[in-house]
Amino acid sequence: MPKITVDGKQIECRDGVPVLQAVLEAGWDVPHYCYHPGLSVVASCRLCLMEMKMPHPQTKEMDWAPKLFPSCQTPVKDGMEVRFASEGVASSQSHVMEYYLVNHPLDCPVCDKAGECYLQDYSEKFGHASSRMVEDKHKNPKKDIGSKTLLYSDRCVVCSRCVRFGDEVAGAGELRVINRGHRAEIDVFPGVPLENELQGNVVDLCPVGALLSKDFLFQQRVWNLRSTPSVDPTTSAGATIWIDHNDDRIFRVRPRFNEKVNEWWISDETRFGWKYVADSKRLNQPLQRDNGAMKPLRWEAAPELLRRLLDEAASADQGVGVACVLSPMLSCEEAWLLSTFVRSRAPQATLVTGYVPVSGPDKTFPKGFKISAEKAPNRRGVESIIKAMGGPNATFEQFVKSAGDGKFKLAYVTGGYPQVWLTADQARAIGKVQTLITHDLFESALDEYATIRLPGASWAEREGSFMNADGLIQPFERALKPLDGVKSDGQFFHELVGRPGLYRGAKTREAMAEKIPAFGDIFVPRPEPEHAH
Amino acid sequence: MSWQAIDRKSAPADEGPGLSDAVKEKIRAFFPRYETKRAVMLPALHVAQEAIGYISVRAMKDIAELLELPPSAVMDVVTFYTHYWTHPRGEKVLMVCRSLSCQLMGADKLQHAIETKLGIKDHETTPDGKFSFMTEECLAACDHAPCLMVNERMHKRVTPEQLDKLLADADSDKLPMPRSDLYDAPHGEKPARGH
Ligand code: SF4
Ligand code: FES
Ligand code: FES
Repeated sequence: MPKITVDGKQIECRDGVPVLQAVLEAGWDVPHYCYHPGLSVVASCRLCLMEMKMPHPQTKEMDWAPKLFPSCQTPVKDGMEVRFASEGVASSQSHVMEYYLVNHPLDCPVCDKAGECYLQDYSEKFGHASSRMVEDKHKNPKKDIGSKTLLYSDRCVVCSRCVRFGDEVAGAGELRVINRGHRAEIDVFPGVPLENELQGNVVDLCPVGALLSKDFLFQQRVWNLRSTPSVDPTTSAGATIWIDHNDDRIFRVRPRFNEKVNEWWISDETRFGWKYVADSKRLNQPLQRDNGAMKPLRWEAAPELLRRLLDEAASADQGVGVACVLSPMLSCEEAWLLSTFVRSRAPQATLVTGYVPVSGPDKTFPKGFKISAEKAPNRRGVESIIKAMGGPNATFEQFVKSAGDGKFKLAYVTGGYPQVWLTADQARAIGKVQTLITHDLFESALDEYATIRLPGASWAEREGSFMNADGLIQPFERALKPLDGVKSDGQFFHELVGRPGLYRGAKTREAMAEKIPAFGDIFVPRPEPEHAH
Repeated sequence: MSWQAIDRKSAPADEGPGLSDAVKEKIRAFFPRYETKRAVMLPALHVAQEAIGYISVRAMKDIAELLELPPSAVMDVVTFYTHYWTHPRGEKVLMVCRSLSCQLMGADKLQHAIETKLGIKDHETTPDGKFSFMTEECLAACDHAPCLMVNERMHKRVTPEQLDKLLADADSDKLPMPRSDLYDAPHGEKPARGH
């Protein structure tokens, strides 16, 4: 590992990174727009400049070279000495910042980026509080460049991050710089809008408020949002995300850096895949069949009722006629608690891997970003738990078939999918089960056969961990209170098992790891340096 | 209205003329000379502009297809250089230098005279299609400021008084010397205006 000296302090750096990356990782706040660790280096914004020691041409002694160097384009070399804390660097930064604001409209009060904008932050720290510009500003236009994205090119600093992202990561190349000098703008070719499946990332990438998400436009001031670390529930890839929320409402989902999975990006499917959480058609009342009609059931009465029903069904034959369908939408902890509960009353119960939605082929983008075809977050987790629990098990198709053949007296079926997941035929087969308990987010074809129907919570209202397609177990936290009338699945299963106190993902994981050691090994991505963006 | 967003999602109703097969062939003839197809961008644009007078939206798409690039990449280059036109130009393009030396020597008066005489502004064309006008950065003849180019011909020390004569002169864009052999013509083709 090379050692370099920065502002008189020695730091150790990773091999082959640019000086800028090394100092950001070591905690320096160096302003930068065009540099992004996931993109090629262009060194065009001229904000990250530094001074560097070089051999004097005559005396050959190491001395500060009389010009500035872009730290984003200078790789670290063992023994090199650089500095940012110097008059030359500070004055360059302040001049560059002044240039950036020459034609900027200064419309922060109506800008979505305000509060997380690097024009604001850098102006405050490295630039000026007021503008000396007295001439008329050159005003670039606002443009509608795609179904999800707007471009306010008057706010753009032409760092070209969005252009490089489109070329290098998304491989679509819709965005370009047109014109030059102060007239330079980002643009799409007329009639060829920004429509690639990763386009949402350009809004995060943009260091200023030039690229805007139509979905988030004028929705919230960002300082009112709280960010909760979570994991993408829409596919099995296991992209890590931030849920930005306020008042128990999600406003946006952003990528959370993950060196093993999604790096700095997420697909639009992940970014906008949370809408169902706020769907008004979500179930919010436990129901019980009483003389053919569904009547409200109190949550408090549910555990006792379920235990009784399960005992009745399993009393004669150790529960050979009992099945428990573990949806791949459940977290590992929830699947473990539920199967533990069912097996505690019905040791011979069949554990079933729930329906796994698949759509299209897996997709891989030029730099390796993947969109996975499997549209559920935790198939592998559920399968590992079923395997570790031993005993009878089945695939979803086998379960539907045996249920249709009248094999089961009681089944606990978990759903939790944002989309319709059962055909009428499948429902009719499952409907043959005498005592059917369903636990789902939305109405389904199973409802007419259900004995008990419990409303489930969305992933944002739960906590636990998902095991992605590569076997990484990644924890996620609860962002929202469950909808009124809904109990988080984990809390309910926790009560079913008869564990005291409140359900906590991490606590349950500990208990689970004692039984299934593989679950002791979770993966949490390393945080990005504080001043990187 | 500055708060309104321009629609860039829809293609323009009229995309202008495209490139003929002969013109496309002429562009393809440049391929062997470069390592990548992308590198043929500038000659391709010249060929297109020579053929249809400017570079239409349709032409940009055609070139993108030939060079296997997204059309936005072609637009990027076209708009970077002021000498590629994205709309039709007149027979003669008058280019007044707007850089420092010429400005000091009265280029703005010359510009004003042209604008009033022809009734057109920067990047506009007279209704009869004879003249277009534009300003340009330093034409590299500062010692003869103010400078004015008519198509490819440079006129030095131009005063507003000379303007009438200059506009009336049919040969005002005739090159006094032949174009050099180094002109970037495709293999096998003789320079357009040779010896
Ligand atoms: S739109 Fe944003 S990301 Fe793109 S060049 Fe401008 S400032 Fe950079
Ligand atoms: S020049 Fe280094 S970050 Fe832009
Ligand atoms: S300034 Fe006009 S030719 Fe140089």
